[in-house]
Amino acid sequence: MISAITTNLPVFIIIAPLFVAFVLPTWAQRKRLVENLVISVEILMLLGTCYLASIVLLQKGIPIIYQMGGWSAPWGIELKVGSLGTFFLLTVAIVSLPVALFARGNLTHEVGGKERVARFYVLYLLLIGALGGMALTNDLFNVYVLVEVATLSCCGLVSARNHPRAAKATFTYLILATLGSCLVMGGIGFIYIVTGHLNMGFASQELGRIWQNNPRVVWMAFSFMLVGFGVKSALFPLHVWLPDAHSVAPSPASAILSGLAVKGYLICLLKVLYNVFGFYLMRVYSVHKIMVLVGMVAIISGSISALTQEDLKRRLAFSTVAQVGYIFLGFGLLNTKGLTGTLFYLASHAVIKSTLFLSAGAMLNATGKKNIKDLSGIGRKMPITTAAFTISSLGLIGIPLFSGFVGKWQLLMGSMETGSILPVSVIISGSVLCAAYLFPVIRIAYFGTAPEKDCKDPNLPQKLALIFLSAAIVFLGVIPGSFLELANRAAAELLVLR
Amino acid sequence: MKDFILKRMASIILPFICIYGFYVIFHGHVSPGGSFAGGIIVGLSFIAFSTIYGIEKGRKKLPEKVLVWTESYGTLWYGIMGMVGIVKGAPFLANKLAGVDLGIPGALNSGGLISFIGFGVGIRVASTMVTLFFTMMEEE
Repeated sequence: MISAITTNLPVFIIIAPLFVAFVLPTWAQRKRLVENLVISVEILMLLGTCYLASIVLLQKGIPIIYQMGGWSAPWGIELKVGSLGTFFLLTVAIVSLPVALFARGNLTHEVGGKERVARFYVLYLLLIGALGGMALTNDLFNVYVLVEVATLSCCGLVSARNHPRAAKATFTYLILATLGSCLVMGGIGFIYIVTGHLNMGFASQELGRIWQNNPRVVWMAFSFMLVGFGVKSALFPLHVWLPDAHSVAPSPASAILSGLAVKGYLICLLKVLYNVFGFYLMRVYSVHKIMVLVGMVAIISGSISALTQEDLKRRLAFSTVAQVGYIFLGFGLLNTKGLTGTLFYLASHAVIKSTLFLSAGAMLNATGKKNIKDLSGIGRKMPITTAAFTISSLGLIGIPLFSGFVGKWQLLMGSMETGSILPVSVIISGSVLCAAYLFPVIRIAYFGTAPEKDCKDPNLPQKLALIFLSAAIVFLGVIPGSFLELANRAAAELLVLR
Repeated sequence: MKDFILKRMASIILPFICIYGFYVIFHGHVSPGGSFAGGIIVGLSFIAFSTIYGIEKGRKKLPEKVLVWTESYGTLWYGIMGMVGIVKGAPFLANKLAGVDLGIPGALNSGGLISFIGFGVGIRVASTMVTLFFTMMEEE
């Protein structure tokens, strides 16, 4: 019995959220039961992921391969539990548990009645299942299916609030995300035409042998993948849907969308670029230079746009655009330190941005306003929420002892190794700009005149969620230990010449 | 609608359309079509019924609760069929490895668990089509 569970753990982690998502609509009237089910499946997922991560750490780089239905690789579908997969799975589990906890205390206020809450949780669990699948899958077509599941549930989450602006944002997002899906599908099609394989390992081997026969098709596949995943992960010129979508969604949804959903597409892109094309082909086609360039533009322009926003949630959403730029820049550095830093930064940004969105959501709900200047003096009325906001802001800027610092430092070291001064200066000025758009919020919250309205810290589950996430930020910053080790190993595995 | 001929014809044809849909679902692994196409045909028979006899009667035939339950548990059924493999000590979604008799190739029972999985997908697709139709009719 126990051995059956442990050997099938990779598949259980993906299907457990999906199973619960399937049965939730029939229990929509029993709100407590729904919430308890969601929380317990998240806890089980966290435990299972910790178990997998410990096994992967102990095995020293030999991935666990799970074959669906017992069919071996070129024919069947594989799940590959390697360092990269467990790293992202851990991130998903750590972020999604507190967000579900926060939603427990807050959803009826932001979303509406029991039916709507149950629907929200269905979409939430589908998104979590799809993200878990993205972390583990080793099959290109599976990537497409999971990307599509995640996209549609994101659209549902954006429109969860019953508001005309939400409908408009969802429509824009749906159109652009569908365009992205088409491009991803096209890219996968081109890879399949050239190699005849959908399994990432086999496609990569085949591509390394015969890419010279049709170099143009490989080039098309590269560009389709970059633009397709670029639209979905809000890379700078293609980010137009993100500020609207992430600012009108209810705050747990914005947290999960900005923190995790965007990262899922980035992990898929990382897998396609490094595990299928390989970094040798990236060099041949100069894809890494494009990524570094676009990443730098995204950092600067995203930060400057964030500076000009008055609406707090829109400011945080534009900040996500800038942070996606850091991750793209890191993906293009092509060295172990840079990639380690990027992966760690990706995870720490997932934790930090969800804390920021949750605490911002709690503040805005308490005051009933949405602009930054309306938050004056709220730090005295809502100490825990404002403390969580401050800790996560410090983390995002990259102050030592907070998790953002570890990733940014490695990223900086990696970009120094390339020998060019431009990425280094852009990363540093990005941090300065980040401080410029987050510190005013903290200053107003702590030193502004106190509001007359009586607003208090949110209820217990929400407070617990904020404390858990803030503790995670500090913990990852002070003792990154085995988490950084996983990221380091994942980066080393991605950069193996094949 | 007061269309006598249409209603009589529909009452004769629609049951056969519904049964044909299930035929396509269960023969998915040996003949063209499959659970999705078959599910659409089953759903279509109910959609045609409610356009001809009026939306009220259609809703009475398939109340919303039934639709929600078939949608949810139809999908869950797929997962449960996948769990058969795990219970028998084989990987998820295993068919022959789980010790299911695959019969003679080409015969109806030659798919093992596949026709059972197809049944779940089929009723799910059917109920989704009907739900979509009802939702769109409500909005007008």
